Amino acid sequence: MPALLINGQRVDAADGATILDAARAAEIDLPTLCWYPKLPTVGNCRICVVSVEGEDKLLPACAATVAEGMRVETESAAALDARRGVLQMLLERYPADHLINGGRAEPRNEFEEYVVRYGVTPRAVAAHELSLRQGDERPGDPMISHDMSLCILCTRCVRACEDIQVVGVLDVAYRGEGAQIVVGADGDPDKAACTWCGECVRVCPTGAIFEVMPRERFGESRVAADRVVRSICPYCGVGCQIDLHVKDNEIARVTSPTFEETTPNDGSTCVKGRFGYDFTQHRDRLTKPLIRKGWVRRGGRWIWEGATGAARRGGPWQSMTEEGRGDKPAAPPRAIGKRIRDLSLLERITADVRDRATTPETWYQPFREATWDEALELVTQELTRIHADHGPDAMAVFQSAKCSNEENYLLQRLFRGAFGTNNVDHCTRLCHSTSVSAMQDALNTAAASGSMREVEEACDVIFIAGANTTETHPVFGVSLKRAHERGAFLIVADPRRTELAARADVHLQMQPGTDVALLNAMLQHILAEGLENWSFIETRTHDFDTVRKAVQPYTPERAAAITGIPAELIRAAAERYARGPNTTTIWAMGLTQHLTGHDMVTSLLNLILATGMIGRWGAAMMPVRGQNNVQGSSDMGAIPFAFPDYQAVADPANRDKFARVWGVDPKTMSLVPGLTVTEMAREGSPVKALYIMGENPIISDPDIAHAEAWFRTIEFLVVQDMFLTETARYGDVILPAASFAEKTGTFVNTERRIQLSEQAIDPPGQARADWEILVDLSNRIGIKSPFSSPADVMEEIREVAPAWAGVTYARLRGGGLQYPVPHDDHPGTAFLFADRFPTADGRALFHAVEYADPGELPDDEYPFVMNTGRMLYHWHTGTMTRRSRGLDAREPVATVEVHPDDAAELGLADGDMAKITSRRNSIVISVRMSDRVARRQIFVPFHFREAAANLLTNPVLEPHAKMAALKVTAVRLEPATVPATA
Amino acid sequence: MKATGAYEPIFAGERRKRLDDVFTCYPTKRAALLPALWIVQQTHGWISDEAMTEVGQVLGVTAAYVKGVVTFYTMYHQHPVGRHFIQVCTTTPCNLCGAEGVVEAILEHTGCGDLGATSADGRFTVIEVECLGACGFPTAVMVDDDFIEGVTVDGVPELLGRYP
Ligand code: SF4
Ligand code: SF4
Ligand code: FES
Ligand code: FES
Repeated sequence: MPALLINGQRVDAADGATILDAARAAEIDLPTLCWYPKLPTVGNCRICVVSVEGEDKLLPACAATVAEGMRVETESAAALDARRGVLQMLLERYPADHLINGGRAEPRNEFEEYVVRYGVTPRAVAAHELSLRQGDERPGDPMISHDMSLCILCTRCVRACEDIQVVGVLDVAYRGEGAQIVVGADGDPDKAACTWCGECVRVCPTGAIFEVMPRERFGESRVAADRVVRSICPYCGVGCQIDLHVKDNEIARVTSPTFEETTPNDGSTCVKGRFGYDFTQHRDRLTKPLIRKGWVRRGGRWIWEGATGAARRGGPWQSMTEEGRGDKPAAPPRAIGKRIRDLSLLERITADVRDRATTPETWYQPFREATWDEALELVTQELTRIHADHGPDAMAVFQSAKCSNEENYLLQRLFRGAFGTNNVDHCTRLCHSTSVSAMQDALNTAAASGSMREVEEACDVIFIAGANTTETHPVFGVSLKRAHERGAFLIVADPRRTELAARADVHLQMQPGTDVALLNAMLQHILAEGLENWSFIETRTHDFDTVRKAVQPYTPERAAAITGIPAELIRAAAERYARGPNTTTIWAMGLTQHLTGHDMVTSLLNLILATGMIGRWGAAMMPVRGQNNVQGSSDMGAIPFAFPDYQAVADPANRDKFARVWGVDPKTMSLVPGLTVTEMAREGSPVKALYIMGENPIISDPDIAHAEAWFRTIEFLVVQDMFLTETARYGDVILPAASFAEKTGTFVNTERRIQLSEQAIDPPGQARADWEILVDLSNRIGIKSPFSSPADVMEEIREVAPAWAGVTYARLRGGGLQYPVPHDDHPGTAFLFADRFPTADGRALFHAVEYADPGELPDDEYPFVMNTGRMLYHWHTGTMTRRSRGLDAREPVATVEVHPDDAAELGLADGDMAKITSRRNSIVISVRMSDRVARRQIFVPFHFREAAANLLTNPVLEPHAKMAALKVTAVRLEPATVPATA
Repeated sequence: MKATGAYEPIFAGERRKRLDDVFTCYPTKRAALLPALWIVQQTHGWISDEAMTEVGQVLGVTAAYVKGVVTFYTMYHQHPVGRHFIQVCTTTPCNLCGAEGVVEAILEHTGCGDLGATSADGRFTVIEVECLGACGFPTAVMVDDDFIEGVTVDGVPELLGRYP
């Protein structure tokens, strides 16, 4: 630990620290321009120079390491002079006429602040000898644009894109006075694989790279926010912390807190987090409760006087099937690389894509606006009546992986406590339910064992099975790319050649749904080579012998025949996996959404356990959770078999405990696990009253034509949402809810991190926070809910959930807490299972599994296998992202990825309309040729109402977790005969 | 500048083989960037944006990085050039001995008119360059890969005649 003197102050610095590090640690301010946290140091701007005794030249503080006894002066006359010189030189190319009169005008950015601070007077642009700088400017881009006359060539953006995001869109080109920032080879960010993450925007010190939307809305000048509020990104399970800049009760822009704080995102976000916030201000937001016309209040009671039968829930809309088959616009040219004013008139019209997916005016016709009192009175009356008439089994609730822990807690509390039903579930059913069932069987746990940070920092081998992490969890995906760059060995098992698969050291490109054969064969080979971890198997697990026997026949050759992966690659992957030393295992929907999803996860867990790749820093078991709070809503009991914190509903002791806390009679509560989402919404289900909070099953469920038909027959449907969604249009009562920015609450990310998101703006009109609605409704229905804030709800949660006992709002500020947090002084748990599993005797259980085919196999009539999933720019059923201008501009229409050779055979080209037919239904969709998919496989994202992938999917259910087989559907592909309109 | 017409990949067949041979001479693919660019330029006479992207893909570097390199060196052309590419040294020693006159004479006799422009018959493009390392024999000129020393204004017509 060298000690040095900075400005006469003694500072103890870490070994290898720079003078800048030492100064900042001692809170001595130093200017920097080219230096930026986490970026490689280039030391090219020289603004940070300092005097060091005994050195005849000034040293750049950001690049010079400290030495024992060094004497540093940061404000010496020579240093100040040099800094002024640097600024003066940069100003020769920079338009700063507004600062000429002694800096009377406001500095607009970091660079200009230094100009003012050091009292440098710029010369008028007209007097410059050199012209202003140029560079590529991303004309027509809906999110990011450049004004390269402001560029000072610090190259922060280049390094941020290359070293943080590992993309490399930007670089410095040309030489001498012509040097400038370029975008790819031809200025087109799309071709250069830009992900629109906005990291370049974040790091640019001059605003040369800037966000388009705030300027369009608030003018050219820097948006001075009224306040800045810490929030959590409402999209994926990474749980990025973001700062909402509020101006006039609107979100003006989103930034991410600097990485000095321990946040899951270290200052980055993806495109959705940074640019996908404007849906909150979309004109489609519901501002008043809606009641379906036909409900009238007579003699103090609500009665239905409207149509009956099929017309009961009718409306002026097309069914999903009709819309899927109907004609629709083909993929338009992307509005990138052209200035909007250069587009043809037709393109200019379609460039405003907002109206494609939004709520048609006519959809409101079957409803009338109501007061909250009317709406909640009707909901209370009907839920109570149906419960009295048909009993608890007729009641059901779809909770929401997008709502907070508090809200999910309150909703299951209402249905379990007041209606005695466990028909409580949410979209985890179609997400990680098979992971949860497999992990519960093997380890009695339901969450990731480790942290995202340990993967980036400490693992040697990364094995990704069925996860397209760079698109679905972009910020985590980027940290995987950084881990790979640092030298971690990357193995990806995926039928598609995703971005990570393309950069992987080994890509195991299997036939869809054959994962069990692959994973069993990997284990077989590991055992054959003696690479298993015996001491782990002996001391930490049971029943290994059954698995050893079961995998014996799965030789790599046999697996090769089933999976289509060369046996050599299987062997290589298995050996690398087992040799570690620290292997992290990551999986997502590619493994879970299968008819044999439970078995696939089980065989993966066998692999993890047999090699002991769990419970060490760097050896993490990571099921990556899809939605911002899918972990938390499961934790809060939004699942049919458990109360909050996975306390089984079947255990009378648990029931009695919750009954006591909720103030209800335990005898009215059910000991029987309830129905799953996939069982509730289908023919023959006993459910008559359904309450949906923030979910849109009519797009996300399998075989939605049948789901939609079921929804039309239900007796009473309440939907609590921000928009009149495809599902809400069938509702009796629609309750307008607040967005993430309009309420306070906590969310759990994929690494068990509980984080606090604070209210930034007011909800529009009369919309209310979900928790407020639920407290009001609970009190009306008669289950006492004396909560006046989400923090009050958390107090009750920590009383009933042992793993949350130490969680308080005050403790959550900052980086949040990773549960288990068993008491007030517990720091949280970064990784689990170091020495025991949460089973009765602390040991994990092996379960033998056999390969079975994935259900629906292709044949002559349906020769293609359709895979469904997500894309970078959209989210789930598109309710939010398709109403975010920038995101929707990137992916405005539904597309199917088709291998170029298949497309050629079928006479299809980019932008053509194709018809996809499965055994259930058909859709018409625009073609995108891509070699990311293998021959005879296609990929359809499920975000798009007008070509809903789930019209085609198979509703057959996985036996353990009742998951639907969303990843494998046999289909036929042909050119569409429907004429496409431009 | 963009290529005209549909883009045909450069590194296919024989040229791919040549590149693979080049790779064997370097520790990393990235290190083979300059020779890879030469192959492109020999094939098409210049390096289009599309070609930079392809080179990037083949070598595992970003397109922007390739562009940075191409635009740094004067020897790579980002536009189509004439059949013969003439580089005239105009650094101080050559200049003192009349390089400017040589440039003017070449511009006149080739019909190029301006530096960097291509003559109407597509035969020549002329540029000025920094020291070619033959300061003792001014004026130094390069035509394509030929190095010619001691060029004078009078010698220009004969010199050009050698390059039909
Ligand atoms: S948005 Fe992201 S990927 Fe695109 S140029 Fe900026 S940093 Fe690179
Ligand atoms: S655009 Fe901004 S970040 Fe990039 S080099 Fe210029 S000033 Fe620096
Ligand atoms: S900040 Fe140190 S040289 Fe730029
Ligand atoms: S100055 Fe012309 S060759 Fe050196």
